[in-house]
Amino acid sequence: MSGDDLNPAAVPQPVEDLHGDGRWLAQHARFVQECKDGEPEVLFVGDSMVQLMEQYEIWREMFSPLHALNFGLAGDTTCNVLWRLQNGELQNIRPKAVVLWVGTNNHGHTAEQVAGGIVAIAQLLTNRLPKAKIVVLGLLPRGERPNPLREKNAAVNRLLCSWLPRLGQASFLDVSKEFVHADGTISSQDMFDYLHLTSAGYRTLAKPLLDLLLQILEETPEDRRASLV
Amino acid sequence: MSAEASNPAATPTPCEDAQGDGRWMSQHVRFVSECKEREPDVVFVGDSLVQLMHQFGIWRQLFSPLHCLNFGIGGDATQHVLWRLSNGELDNISPKVVVLWVGTNNHGHTAEQIAGGIMAIVQLIHNKLPHAHTLVLGVLPRGRMPNPLRERNAQVNKLVQDALSSLSHASFFNVDPGFVLSDGSISHQDMYDYLHLTAHGYQAVCEPLHAQIKSLLEKPAEN
Repeated sequence: MSGDDLNPAAVPQPVEDLHGDGRWLAQHARFVQECKDGEPEVLFVGDSMVQLMEQYEIWREMFSPLHALNFGLAGDTTCNVLWRLQNGELQNIRPKAVVLWVGTNNHGHTAEQVAGGIVAIAQLLTNRLPKAKIVVLGLLPRGERPNPLREKNAAVNRLLCSWLPRLGQASFLDVSKEFVHADGTISSQDMFDYLHLTSAGYRTLAKPLLDLLLQILEETPEDRRASLV
Repeated sequence: MSAEASNPAATPTPCEDAQGDGRWMSQHVRFVSECKEREPDVVFVGDSLVQLMHQFGIWRQLFSPLHCLNFGIGGDATQHVLWRLSNGELDNISPKVVVLWVGTNNHGHTAEQIAGGIMAIVQLIHNKLPHAHTLVLGVLPRGRMPNPLRERNAQVNKLVQDALSSLSHASFFNVDPGFVLSDGSISHQDMYDYLHLTAHGYQAVCEPLHAQIKSLLEKPAEN
């Protein structure tokens, strides 16, 4: 595993306001505020794959009832998520489960570096929330046909599979194979731009994820749980 | 307005495959085949604001019944849309209406250049589809609080509205229902990242848009 100080994917970094409308910081500030206002049992954190989930009906159907907060930010790399979590997005909250989904935007980094960055985030979460279970989602394949980024994401997933068990409270959920057809193509019915999921695409992921989350939440004794299932 | 040769926003340019998964070209190729397979009455072209519209229930509710195709690609600026429309996305179809919504991603371009890019697209559509009416949607404000991009987008809208006023085959349509509140802020209930619309934001945009498209479809064909 790459040492954190040698791994650029594990260096916390905010996003520069290149366009001039301050949207990244505005979203981060809103998430920090939500930490003050809310008592989530589940926290979702990551990039646009996480952020977009909240815009579809399945979020309201499946995850809102779990008292979930969504701190997804489009375009984020592991560095950006690390920075956000260290700068207020974990303050005052004690979720029982954290869903982490990030890495597909780490274009300048190798698969080893990306996996190292994801593990660094999982480690941070474990340190700050010792009682929480971390669910790391595998990076989905992307592009309509086989291409180097699919190989890279698959390599990240293989590394996560072997590295995450060392953390104890982290589990790994990878639904990648559900999206690639026999001819190697990904359908626009699942990923409208061969990266971002459609409503149907999210359902494929949401079912096993919800099952896992319910299992985690049930393991933790809590009066409120009775209202859930 | 800038001559096309010196306006990068009005020079047809494909998107570079910087990431290595060829997604932009895959989407373009898919749109070109849809032109061979379908007979749309309305074609939507533009950026992510067009593309994401297709992902929400509102599309099936309001636009599918009108036989619409959606050729939006996230990240596209005017020069990308110009390239796509010049390379097959207007071939083999004869829609009555083309809805054009683009301009917010033209980073590094001036308002004049962006407006020039939009007008170049309007001209191209008219050349390829002389009987179609192009509905140009105003570029929305962005960012949580007032910022230079809001000013740029507003200036683009003003220039485009002026340029379109003399044309009969195209018109400007403002789809901003008042997203900017009295304190200058935009709510995340309307734009979850202060740029892209939520389902709620799309509702406010799409209902008047739908009415406008329907009235254009009901008019006799333009010459």
